[in-house]
This record gives sequence, structure tokens and C-alpha cells, in this order.
Amino acid sequence: MKKIMLCCSAGMSTSLLVKKMLAEAEKRQLPVEIKAFGAAEFDEQVSKYQAVLLGPQVKYMLADLQARAKPYGIPVEAIAMTDYGMQRGDKVLDFALSLIK
Amino acid sequence: MSAYNKMVAMIEDTITPLAAKLGQQKYVTSIRDGFISALPFMIVGSFMLVFIFPPFDPETKWGFARAWLDFSKAYQDKLLLPFQLSMGVMTFFISVGVAASLARHYKLDPITTGLLSLMSFLLVAAPIKDGAISTQYFSGQGIFTALLCAIYSTELYAFLKRKNITIRLPEQVPTGVARSFEVLIPVLAIILTLHPLNLFIESETGMILPQAIMSVVKPLVSASDSLPAILISLFICQILWFAGIHGALIVTGIMNPFWMANLADNQAALAAGQALPHIYLQGFWDHYLLIGGVGSTLPLAFLLLRSKAIHLRTIGKMGVIPGLFNINEPILFGAPIVMNPVFFLPFILVPMINATLAYIATSMGLVARVVSMTPWTSPAPLGASWAANWAFSPVIMCLVCMVMSAMMYYPFLKAYERTLLKQEEESAAEAQAGEPVAA
Repeated sequence: MKKIMLCCSAGMSTSLLVKKMLAEAEKRQLPVEIKAFGAAEFDEQVSKYQAVLLGPQVKYMLADLQARAKPYGIPVEAIAMTDYGMQRGDKVLDFALSLIK
Repeated sequence: MSAYNKMVAMIEDTITPLAAKLGQQKYVTSIRDGFISALPFMIVGSFMLVFIFPPFDPETKWGFARAWLDFSKAYQDKLLLPFQLSMGVMTFFISVGVAASLARHYKLDPITTGLLSLMSFLLVAAPIKDGAISTQYFSGQGIFTALLCAIYSTELYAFLKRKNITIRLPEQVPTGVARSFEVLIPVLAIILTLHPLNLFIESETGMILPQAIMSVVKPLVSASDSLPAILISLFICQILWFAGIHGALIVTGIMNPFWMANLADNQAALAAGQALPHIYLQGFWDHYLLIGGVGSTLPLAFLLLRSKAIHLRTIGKMGVIPGLFNINEPILFGAPIVMNPVFFLPFILVPMINATLAYIATSMGLVARVVSMTPWTSPAPLGASWAANWAFSPVIMCLVCMVMSAMMYYPFLKAYERTLLKQEEESAAEAQAGEPVAA
């Protein structure tokens, strides 16, 4: 089971993308858990996941959130703008999986 | 270097790092998150207003409305209680919420930190006279005091913890018991610092602390409710979002205390049967200026649905439903609007022009003023009406804003569509020309 966390300001627009990613994972018959959270919940949630993806609108938090995830050894990266806008569940899922070692 | 490239470079070099700093400043984020946790209480609390002040003409002859009006008049005091114990004591929720959020930054226990903050607020803002606590500063008048107390008590608690100033008990003592003793020192430190300060200020100025703080911030509060304040805050939000940064997060973090103080004023005026004094509140921002999300893109989403370019049509299909609930990241990043020179002008100007129209119409008394807290995800015309105690004029105002947005976005959308169509044609021609070779 791969566990992926998405994070934006309130976890609203990322939750749209979560649906697309889950649909893609189901198509590939991949066992994954993907959830979206607001940035305020980052600290409580981060240790429960294997990779964190940020919405591009909160990319400015990247360095800080990476530092906060470091003690757990969890990678944090921002989603590419167009993949986010186009809601490309397949590409974002690939990206997330590539981060999980 | 073109003017546009210069502007983008300027945004990336100066505004982005500044926004990153401000957007993550611990007090700004704690105030924002603290308000978010207080929000449900305020939304439900202000929802009660409609039962007390139903949206009917007081002279109405319609049976249902008449009965409701008579009922609410007869039982006004009883109906007011849930409202008074949510909106009327909003500072309780805010002081606990903000301190608990700030506690995260210092890895302190949020419950303890929240309670310390509540105590420090009550200590300075709740004078007891003849055995009764005065509630005067528990609502809008006390917001800035509640924020300062939350910050002060949390900083003090963090400081004592960092310096290891605490009561240490032998290791055999259960941790629960030990923890309750740990908090004794911070409680004492708060009482020993804040109470004398409050007494000193009272003896010097004749005002207790929240009164003194309110008189200091008063010019700021009244300046916050003006057309320039609307336009400046909006402009900052739009520029940041154009650079792909969640600007609303930063702007609302700063504006919230002002909006809340002004909301309390409006509600007090409604309860007293007076004209509502303030215009620029959360409901004004959410439902006139962010129709379908930042940049008022809902009308644009409808236009996209009928675009000749496949890409734009796809984005329209993806964006229109979330857009009804004011979520527009698919459109902003998908069209894209972010960093797209074609959309720079309308994206910045549409909300600013709508803001000016709505401000003028509201100040002329054509449109009802905001008096309720609403969820930002409510569809704009519905939310605008709800915010103004279900008046109908905000719906019309909202629709006017939507028509304006559609008209202003349209020519820019057409220009962008032409470029995309050309690209789509070219890539189709290329694919056709390339086929025989590939085969």
C-alpha cells in the first residue's frame, strides 16, 4: 500500500485531483491511499504518508515544508502547474510514485 | 526585454519571496488558522439572525411572514441567546483558536496553550461589577485584545518551556499529574504580568486594556472599511495569484480581524434597529469579488464551455462545477491564467471594477449590507443573499458583477482562443503531414 498526501491551502482543490488519481490507480489496480489536507494540518499528517505533493499555489511553502518533513525522511514536491490545472491524475500519480523509494 | 517580461521578473524577484515570508509568518498563519477554527461557531451563530430578523417587510400582510415576525418579536430575547453566546463571545473562540494554532509552531500542547490564552484575555477584558461580568469586550470590540493576548501568552509559555522554568516533580509522579503542575508557572506568570499592566493602564488612562487597544487601532479599523482598502487588498491578492501564489490566503489572514470587528458592529446595529455602518466585510469579499474563485472566473468558465478550442472547452468542463463553489484552480492553472500575459489585464481589473461598482451601489443604499458570516464555498448569488440576511438586492448585484466579468473577459478570451486554434490547426496539419513518413 503506497500512501500519498496532497496539500494545498484548505485541501479543497487538491481533493479534486485526489479523485482523478484514485481513478487512475484503480485502473492500474494499484493499492494506494491518497488524501488531501490543508497546509495547517501538515505537521499532524505528514508522518503517516510516504510522499507529499503540494498544489502549485502553495509552492512558496515548499522549502519550509520540506524542512518539516525531513526528520521523517518524507519527500515533499510541488505539482507542475499544467498537470494541476489539467487535473492529470495519471501524470501526478506517476510523479508521486517516483518519489516513493 | 518587453514590459511584460520585466513585470514577471519583478514579481519573481521581489513579490514572490516577500509573499512566501508573509504567507508563512507564524502570527499571520496562526491568526488565519485560528479564525478558521472559530468559523463554524460564527456561521451557525449568525445563522440565528434570520430567525430573529426574518427577511420580510415589517408591515407585511402575508400570513406566514406576519406570524414569523410576531413570533420573533415576542421571543426576541430567547432567540437572541444562541446568537449572543456565539457571535457575542467570538473572542473566546478566537483566543483559543489562535493560541492553539500558534502552539503548533512551538510544539506546545494546543489545549493548554489555548486555555492559557483564554485566561489571559478574560483577565484583561472581563471586569466584574456587582458580581456580573461585563460582556462588552467579548465581541468585535475585543478582537485585537484577544489576538494580542493569544500571542503574548503563547510566547510566554514557549519562553518558560524553552528556559526550562517549571515545577519539577519526582519521576514517580504520573505524567498527567506532573503536566498539570507544569502549567502552574505559566498561569502565575500571566497573572503577574497582565493584571498589573491592566491596572496600570486603567489608572493612567481611565480605560481598561481592550478599550485602550481599541482606541489605538480605531483609525486602522475605520480605514479598513473604505474603497481604497478594498482596492489595495484586492490588488495585492490578484497580483500574487497571477504569479501563482495563493494571495487570498495572505490577504484574508490580515483582513480577518478587521472584517470580524466590523461584522460585530453591523450585527449590533441590526439588533438595535439602526442602519448598518460597514460595507467591506468577508461576505462582500467572498461573494462579489471572488465569484467562482479569485479573479471572478465563474463567468469565464461558462464562456470556456462554448470555446472553439478543444483545450479551453476541456478546461471549462473541468472548471465549471468546482467554480460554482468558488474553487477555480483548474481554470487558473489549466487555461492557464496564472502568468499568462493575455489574461493579465482582465484578471486584475475584473474584480477591481466589480468591487468599485458593488461598493458604490452598497454605499448608496441600493444593495443590502453584510450582516452574517457565510461559508466561502457558497455559490456567489446565494452566498451574497445569505450574508445580507437573505435580502434580494445582493443577488442582483452579484448577477451584474457576473455579466461585467463575462463582458470584460470575453475579448481577451477570444484573442487567446485564436492563438490556441492556430496551434491546434498546426499540430493537426503536422500530424497529417507526418503520417506517411511514420508509416
